[in-house]
Amino acid sequence: MKPLRFFQSNRSLYIILIAIIILMAILNPTRFFTVGNFISMSYQIPIIAFLSFGSMIAFLTGGINLAIISTTNFTGIITILTLRAISGQATYEASVSSSIIALSVGLIAALSIGALCGFLIGYLEIPAFLVSLGIGTLLNGVNIVITKGYTISGFPPFILDIGNGLLWGIPIPFLIFIVASVLLSFLLTKTVFGISLYLVGSNAVAARFSNINIRSVYIRQYMLSSLFAALTSFVMMGQLNSVKANYAESYLLVSVLACFLGGVDPFGGFGKTGGMVLSIIILQLVSTGVNLLRLDPYLTQAMWGLIILLLLGTNYIRSSIREKRRLSAVLQEAKSNPSATNSASLL
Amino acid sequence: MFRKILRQNEAYVFLLILALSIVIGMRNPSFFSFENITGFLKSYSMIGIMSVGTLFVLILGGTDVSFTAIAQVVEYAVVVLIMKFGGNIFVAFFEAAILGIVLGLINGLVIHKFRVPIIIVTIATFNIYFGMLYVITKGKLINNIPQMFKDFGNILLFPQKSAIGGTYGLSLMPLIWLAALILGWIILRKTMIGRGIFAVGGNEIAAERIGINTFAIKLFVFGFVGFLAGIAGVVHVAIVQSVVPNIIVGKELEVIAAVVIGGASIFGGRGTIFGTFLGVLLFAMLNNGLTLLRISSYWYSVTIGAIILIAITVSAYQRLQRAKTNVKVQIQE
Repeated sequence: MKPLRFFQSNRSLYIILIAIIILMAILNPTRFFTVGNFISMSYQIPIIAFLSFGSMIAFLTGGINLAIISTTNFTGIITILTLRAISGQATYEASVSSSIIALSVGLIAALSIGALCGFLIGYLEIPAFLVSLGIGTLLNGVNIVITKGYTISGFPPFILDIGNGLLWGIPIPFLIFIVASVLLSFLLTKTVFGISLYLVGSNAVAARFSNINIRSVYIRQYMLSSLFAALTSFVMMGQLNSVKANYAESYLLVSVLACFLGGVDPFGGFGKTGGMVLSIIILQLVSTGVNLLRLDPYLTQAMWGLIILLLLGTNYIRSSIREKRRLSAVLQEAKSNPSATNSASLL
Repeated sequence: MFRKILRQNEAYVFLLILALSIVIGMRNPSFFSFENITGFLKSYSMIGIMSVGTLFVLILGGTDVSFTAIAQVVEYAVVVLIMKFGGNIFVAFFEAAILGIVLGLINGLVIHKFRVPIIIVTIATFNIYFGMLYVITKGKLINNIPQMFKDFGNILLFPQKSAIGGTYGLSLMPLIWLAALILGWIILRKTMIGRGIFAVGGNEIAAERIGINTFAIKLFVFGFVGFLAGIAGVVHVAIVQSVVPNIIVGKELEVIAAVVIGGASIFGGRGTIFGTFLGVLLFAMLNNGLTLLRISSYWYSVTIGAIILIAITVSAYQRLQRAKTNVKVQIQE
């Protein structure tokens, strides 16, 4: 079942974005258009953005990364355990250098999880869904076993700054988000690795015969996906000042949802960073809007689902209208000039 | 013959269950007691019932994640309806079935009409169903559920007195699970609809060409998933005897994992009821076994994950070996 190429362009996304902003301007202009509101949004965007980027990277080859949340929590847990090993129980007093070492160890842990996923997918040819389901469940269990289900807290100022600090008046996580989006966009569109990702996603067999080492592409792909899980973890540690085995569990489906809204094809080959950024901003605007109007926060979730269905609906109607027009044009041509047109052009 | 059996996933899961039950039974003989077996079968009835629906969608070639949200919504709605208008357990099941079917049909309709992947639509409807449930109910728990749910949950066949004074026996819940399994088996193996589901899962375009009404098949499958989710919701409330509006949601990956362990292919067209039963049984036994062996339940997720990884690695290894032995030999002329 090859679906319609839904949400090919970002046009619908811009329309939704503008519609939401206008709606907010009408409903609650005094609270919505304030600096404070935008600052608080810029603290919230990075977490959902990094998780969604991680999911999107997996989708580019038609895979999926169901292990992304447990990788995130695993990174955080490894980081604080390393901190404890270096500077004893008083982790909140750890120096900058030991924080950096701990973060690097966490990052390496995340990357190795990614490499393992990529290895199983590339070398043993197991579907990504099953690999990430297995790894995700296992890792979630490991997280629970390590922490015994408790929250571990106490991070040094250096790590807290990653989540909460300000630089030139802009929240540091938001700066990381901007840099990461630009780098990701560059990586996906301008490098050999990025292009091979899209190629493997469109047609893995053709990619292999074009002398692309698919297996190594898979490994690097899932390492990149896990890198974003690690970034999420760093920001989350800073904002929550704690780690736990089941933080952000409900974000798994949200990160997948953001990808579909951003125009990523779950069967692989299509998806751009720009669309993702737009979709994440839309999701955040909805969430902020619901909060500012003092509505039930769960309404956000329902609205996100509705937006997806609306988008699917409009895209379906648009493409069917386009198809009808094309058909009638072909028929018109066939009537006026029967000899020049053959039946093949109908298809 | 023997080789053919060994090639199927079910055989391995069956052997694993056998080995596991021997190990657990040797360490703690009460594992084989009537009380224990009926106990863990009862607690996994809800997952067992939902797993049949998941199997149908997997055979169709997609992944449904919205069934837990459907079960959650139906559970809440039916309890509220019964509290308002009254009725016996049959009315409750009837309402649950109707509501579940309606919510499932919405999925099927959108999936077929918009021609989009099952997972996208079901993630969207999951968010809508679950989000709206919370918005409408404000997330309130219901502790004083109608007595008849409790009575239904406490019905015991072959009741016996336990040593500490309580009674135990076979609850009706595993029987509902069994009924769902039999119903699923009949539909998949004995009807044209079942043939159609396998055909659409194998190759949708080919299925359409040979005259199968793919729209009707999809509507049926998602209606059936909704139906089972609704029944599972009532079974759940009869077991836990209270309504917590976020307790079923989140189990979807566990259910999918159980069905996949049972040998269903995530690419569609392959899967059996017996395998699905074994998959859920394995999970139930593991959960129970950890308790009986006095191992912390923290390890449940670890063992499940390890089993999934081992299972997929073994079957991938077998497939690669088979591909090696089936290499075509080119003979020069």
